[in-house]
Amino acid sequence: MSYRIGVDIGGTFTDFALFEEGGGRLALHKQLTTPADPSRAVLAGIVSLLARQNVPIADVRDVVHGTTLVTNSVIERKGAKTGMLVTAGFRDILDMRMEQRYDLFDLRLVFPDPLVPRRLRREVPERVHYDGRVETPLDEAAVSRGLKELVEGERIEALAICFLHSYANPAHERSAKAMVEAAYPDLYVSASVDVFSNLREFERWTTTTVNAFTQPMFDRYLARLEQGLAALGFSGQLYIMTSSGGVVTTETARRFPVRALESGPAAGVLMSTVHGRTLGLPDLLSFDMGGTTAKGALVRKSAPMKKYTMEVARVHEFKRGSGLPCRLPVIDMIEIGAGGGSLAQVDARNLIAVGPRSAGAVPGPACYAQGGELAALTDANLVLGYLDAGSFLGGEMRLDLPAAEHAIGRAIAKPLKLELARAAWGIHEVINEDVARAFRIHASERGFDYRTCSMVTFGGSGPVHAMAVARKLKIPRVIFPLGAGVMSALGLLASPLAFELSLSRRVFVAELDAARFAAMLQPLVEEATGFLVRAGVKPAELRIQRRLDVRYEGQGYELEVELPADGSAESGFHAVPKLFAAAYETAYGHNFLDEPLEIVTWKVEAVGPEPNLKADFSLVVAGGGGLEAALKGRRKAYFEAAGGYVDCPVYDRYRLRPGDSIVGPALVEERESTAVLGPGDRASVDSHYNLVAELAG
Amino acid sequence: MARKNRTLDAVSLGIMWDRLIALTDEIVSTLVRTSFSTIVRESYDLSVVVLDAGGHLMAQGTYSVPVFIGTAPRTLKYMLEKFPPHTLRPGDVLVTNDPWMGTGHMFDISVMRPVFRGRKIVAYTMSITHLPDVGGLGFGAAATEIFHEGLRLPICKLVKGGELDPFMVDLIHANCRVPDQVMGDLMANVSCNEVGGRQVLEFMQEYSLDDLSGLSHAIREHSEQAMRQKIREMRRGVYRNRVMVEAIDAPVEYACRVEVDDGEVRIDFTGTGPCVDRGINVPFCYTNAMSLYAIKCLTIPSIPNNGGATLPVKVSAPPGCILNAQPPVPTGGRHIMGHFVPPLIFGALAEAAPDKVQADCGMMDLMTVQGRHTNGRGVSTIYFSAGGFGALQGRDGTDTLPGPSNMAVVPVEIWETLTTLTVESKRLRPDSGGSGAARGGVGQEVVLRNDSGHPMTVFSMANRTEFPALGMAGGKAGAMRQHKINDVAVHPKGKYVLRPGDRITLVEAGGGGYGDPRQRPVAQVVADVREGFVTPEGAARDYGVRVDPATLLATRQAAE
Repeated sequence: MSYRIGVDIGGTFTDFALFEEGGGRLALHKQLTTPADPSRAVLAGIVSLLARQNVPIADVRDVVHGTTLVTNSVIERKGAKTGMLVTAGFRDILDMRMEQRYDLFDLRLVFPDPLVPRRLRREVPERVHYDGRVETPLDEAAVSRGLKELVEGERIEALAICFLHSYANPAHERSAKAMVEAAYPDLYVSASVDVFSNLREFERWTTTTVNAFTQPMFDRYLARLEQGLAALGFSGQLYIMTSSGGVVTTETARRFPVRALESGPAAGVLMSTVHGRTLGLPDLLSFDMGGTTAKGALVRKSAPMKKYTMEVARVHEFKRGSGLPCRLPVIDMIEIGAGGGSLAQVDARNLIAVGPRSAGAVPGPACYAQGGELAALTDANLVLGYLDAGSFLGGEMRLDLPAAEHAIGRAIAKPLKLELARAAWGIHEVINEDVARAFRIHASERGFDYRTCSMVTFGGSGPVHAMAVARKLKIPRVIFPLGAGVMSALGLLASPLAFELSLSRRVFVAELDAARFAAMLQPLVEEATGFLVRAGVKPAELRIQRRLDVRYEGQGYELEVELPADGSAESGFHAVPKLFAAAYETAYGHNFLDEPLEIVTWKVEAVGPEPNLKADFSLVVAGGGGLEAALKGRRKAYFEAAGGYVDCPVYDRYRLRPGDSIVGPALVEERESTAVLGPGDRASVDSHYNLVAELAG
Repeated sequence: MARKNRTLDAVSLGIMWDRLIALTDEIVSTLVRTSFSTIVRESYDLSVVVLDAGGHLMAQGTYSVPVFIGTAPRTLKYMLEKFPPHTLRPGDVLVTNDPWMGTGHMFDISVMRPVFRGRKIVAYTMSITHLPDVGGLGFGAAATEIFHEGLRLPICKLVKGGELDPFMVDLIHANCRVPDQVMGDLMANVSCNEVGGRQVLEFMQEYSLDDLSGLSHAIREHSEQAMRQKIREMRRGVYRNRVMVEAIDAPVEYACRVEVDDGEVRIDFTGTGPCVDRGINVPFCYTNAMSLYAIKCLTIPSIPNNGGATLPVKVSAPPGCILNAQPPVPTGGRHIMGHFVPPLIFGALAEAAPDKVQADCGMMDLMTVQGRHTNGRGVSTIYFSAGGFGALQGRDGTDTLPGPSNMAVVPVEIWETLTTLTVESKRLRPDSGGSGAARGGVGQEVVLRNDSGHPMTVFSMANRTEFPALGMAGGKAGAMRQHKINDVAVHPKGKYVLRPGDRITLVEAGGGGYGDPRQRPVAQVVADVREGFVTPEGAARDYGVRVDPATLLATRQAAE
């Protein structure tokens, strides 16, 4: 028998999923995260999960790992002392940023400091032009001199090599890198052309500094993990999840830690996609809500929507533009400062505002009775009866209802002269509105019509709010998969090996022919394929996806088109105008410009075989099932549509069986979360143990 | 719904209010996505609003730029004077780009559509965007009369009962350089208003509202009270300020009197100099918007824009002064002069709100570039580079950050690809930030070389070349802006032809400092020297701190 393990490190818990290939058996596990050395929790959790399931480690074929380690080391500035070699005349680009304010009204706005301070940047005379032409050859003496100062004088541990237009001609970056490797073989070195070969120097160089800054730490972490796993007797392969939803080998992850920035959240979206595929629902909203943030993503035609820009270490967590911008393939997610710990207060308008400030895990919401006195969303959900004081986290943590009532009374009800229940409902509803708003804008910006979609929800707080959010969005159906609290760990097992490369090269379509077009893509195909073949994928098993950013000549905005997967590059060339016209129509609703086209970015992704994780696994459920057995009690819960508190049945999610159906109002509890069904909502359990709810008409 | 017509308590008001703003934001994103104009897409030079049946502003898109604060209700008022509500029919769409009825220059088109519920008008939606072209002399300040600036559309019906007026289409086609793009943008506005109207009706149905006046009143009342409350935190009194502002030939004096009263601010610009015969005059709507913006920054930056939030701020300016330009003076580049209004007000209120105001910014430099790419294709674009941001109490001004206007730099790699005007170097300018307890942001020096093989025309309206960004509360002024061609200083407001191989150097201004430089902690001066934002000489001269560049050991000299 052969097993796979998914491990996702979160802020509080490290989640584990053990999946038996073929057999469909699945076991889940949670372990407190060990921040000082996260590999300790990973190893300890694997040991205890395997022991409990009676699985020898020799039977584990691979471990897929998602981690926020890279992100955290940037946020906490706990990376390597990093230097930079940069084209002479452009040392200050990192300080100048985009020369744009991200908030027009906050005059006190601040930006994150560059990861490489100005004094650790050395200019190197060299100059390449946009067309790859060399104006000034690389000054090798300046490279040696700068390097010596940085390594021997400043004692840097990592180096970023960032030259202008290296995407058009990488020769100078490559030679400088070779010199570094020859002179200081132990120095970690990242060249911008290798990290992500796109034009826009500030973003490419920032991405490169993030890579360099985090590389030594991530390398050491992976080494500890690999040694630890080997010591346990593990002989399989360790994979790392990337931000774009594919996994890579540790060898690749060591070279490009920056690709693992959004490692964990990506996995949750992938799991939503898998559920959608199983249920025949290609278009989805994936809604994940935990303790401090909510994350949303759109899934179109069974693939999560992607983007190529992201930000890390934002000064204002939810303000676009306040972080370090990176250009990389990443699943396109919205982040909202809304979670169980989000704090409620009266704002300047004398109305309720919730978040983005959060009570965090410590002291946590007032009802945790850990010293928190401020009113958090979880306090409101407790007062409203959605959560139960006795069954939170499977009863392991008793909640303090009077403390929650007191906190909401003080923070909201008294100052705004509201009844307590109304105040709690206000807090709950503000979050529903915030989440719905974020989805609306996100979808509208992407021309995505969500009204016929279904929502998949998970995370500790997602199922509590999903129906209300769906109602606001007029989405007809919500899917609550089993194991909502560990979706990311499961999702890790759902992703194939994948590696994407991209190249900026502006070419007028009129000046191309099919052969030249194919020749542009070929080196990318070969390089991307190489990453997968080295990871053990057979060439026959891998798919190549080719995408282009195309625009009207000279226009500022480009659209992505994907070439047909089955055709040759040559036939793809002839399809470009038609594909662009279709994409334009979708995005803008009209297509009346008859202008020539240009291609600005060339992207190639190699994707390995999809893992055989089908969503028809089942969690082992103790004891008998069925609706009557599952009814564990009743309690009052607040629904505005019903005019206040109404008596609701409470079901044990683990005892529900396929075919069981429930009419709201009702509460369905599992260990990490509770699905809240409003009056008239109808839910049934499908053959995959998903709870599928249709909104009341 | 079990509870119809629930009174507006804090819960339902909050939810409906936020929903209404979300609705306008959603319309904004539709508009951005469907517009051609790059300035709309990249600088969000647009606005979407919802007004109630009485013409009061209820909600405005969150990402609107400040220039559109408070313009829409005025525009609507003019529109309804010409086409009274009872004459309007479902599917009518009214437009105007008149600078005095709209937003101050003809590039902005205001597009309004009444929202009918049955036969009754329950709301109006309006969108405003910057058009790609309106004919005339094109974008810039060259005009000496409004008639040079292109097509001026008086208030008119672009769409009548759902039918596009063919005459209007012909008129626009005949008067623009890129008619397809202009019509494309106009239609994006028309359809976003249609979507907006639908959404307003859905919203009313969702919350069982027969009309919006009660909600509108509550929104405005809450905003107004919040603003008054915050204004009361400023020290009451009458404050004045005067500054010289660079115009084309001779400078213009700006004067203002700001009275902070019990929950109210009154701003008057009497004493400000007259209009000039170039397209940089500022219609009052723009002066008003900039004034409201300044007060918003000092009070509640996050307050949603609506008719209530603007009520406690009263603005006036004598007709004919450059901040209340009258027809037919040209106004195309009204932002060039209008952007000096916020710093003028901040300067006046330096003592009323010392922890809120900002020292002057080095502002931005926009240079129009026209010529040919090496490949022979035409190039017509704008190069943008920022000066330093002004300091605030306890907060250094950010280096190379524009204010009060905003744009994003075109990356060197994209710029060179598009223009073949090579950026030889782009460096921070040490010591250019005004010294102070909080240092002003430093400017930069950019060297551009014409590698296109063709002559290139550059045109700029650079400011801060005679009058620097002033410091505040004892902080010093930032360094001034300068332009050089082949290392020789040139007049920064003018048109030049760069021959192949010629270099132009843009030396950008620094922001003003805040507070006495001698109060700046030595450790911060040392850090600035270590990173090179201040030179050792500058540290000694401006801060009285002697720093050894090798060891970074520092001593503060006694004040003389």
